[in-house]
Amino acid sequence: MTTTACFIVVSKNDIPIYEAEVGSTVRQKQEQAHQHQFILHAALDLVQDLAWTTSAMFLRSVDRFNDLTVSVYVTAGHTRLMLLHDSRNEDGIKNFFQEVHELYVKTLLNPLYLIGSRITSAHFDTRVRALARKFL
Amino acid sequence: MGREVAESCIDGVIIEMVSAYASRFYSSKPDLAARRIEAIGFQVGHQLSERYTMERPRFADHLEAIKFICKDFWSELFKKQIDNLKTNHRGTFVLQDNHFRWLTRISLDPAAVANNDATSESESGADMTSMLLYFPCGIIRGALNNLGISCAVSADMTNLPACKFTCDTC
Repeated sequence: MTTTACFIVVSKNDIPIYEAEVGSTVRQKQEQAHQHQFILHAALDLVQDLAWTTSAMFLRSVDRFNDLTVSVYVTAGHTRLMLLHDSRNEDGIKNFFQEVHELYVKTLLNPLYLIGSRITSAHFDTRVRALARKFL
Repeated sequence: MGREVAESCIDGVIIEMVSAYASRFYSSKPDLAARRIEAIGFQVGHQLSERYTMERPRFADHLEAIKFICKDFWSELFKKQIDNLKTNHRGTFVLQDNHFRWLTRISLDPAAVANNDATSESESGADMTSMLLYFPCGIIRGALNNLGISCAVSADMTNLPACKFTCDTC
């Protein structure tokens, strides 16, 4: 089963600090990667409005484009974890977000990590991809 | 995440950090030492607030964030809640802790306080304590900054061991 999925983490200053293509298709994602990024960034406005209406962290699907949906998870520090996907597995996506949130908190706890800067750790990248294979 | 550490170790580390910055690193520039200690507290507060807000839903407004600081955040750090919260509804909050844990191990030498000749001793005793208080001020400022409220936090220790933290959002 091939799925397309693109995952980005946007800090509270609206700067993307991490992005990864985590879908299981190999060939077509190279041409469509820029399109995925464009869709995710365009959805940021909608997230902004929706985030203030609810106190939940997991905002389900905020936007649609063709057959791709954007799901968002907002932390208390207003860091947005955004996933562009074509699957319908909401529980899996929610668990994926919770696990990545834990990873993100661990990254923050690193005293040498400048808050709001890009996450460049290869370990973080490996773990996120492994979680994506497991839950998506 | 969330392993345990002995409380005496925390007390020891904090007291030694404050003393190192105030007496050794920046001994001639006490306000610079205070800024560095507050900056360390800022980063710690930022990280701790991110960790403690993971399980709970997000905050609807400023007052809820302050109440989180008074209840959950304070009880995670000091095993008790803030005893008194006052606000003037125009952006200033006063958090009062009647028995601030980190100050319970600090003693101001009573002989030096009573003695007029040693006024410099009593001053340095009070100075040391106020240096120590910059760290929790930084923690509160860092936590509130992460929750979206930028403010200035100051501490008032006129009657130990009670301590009042004033958060000014404007």
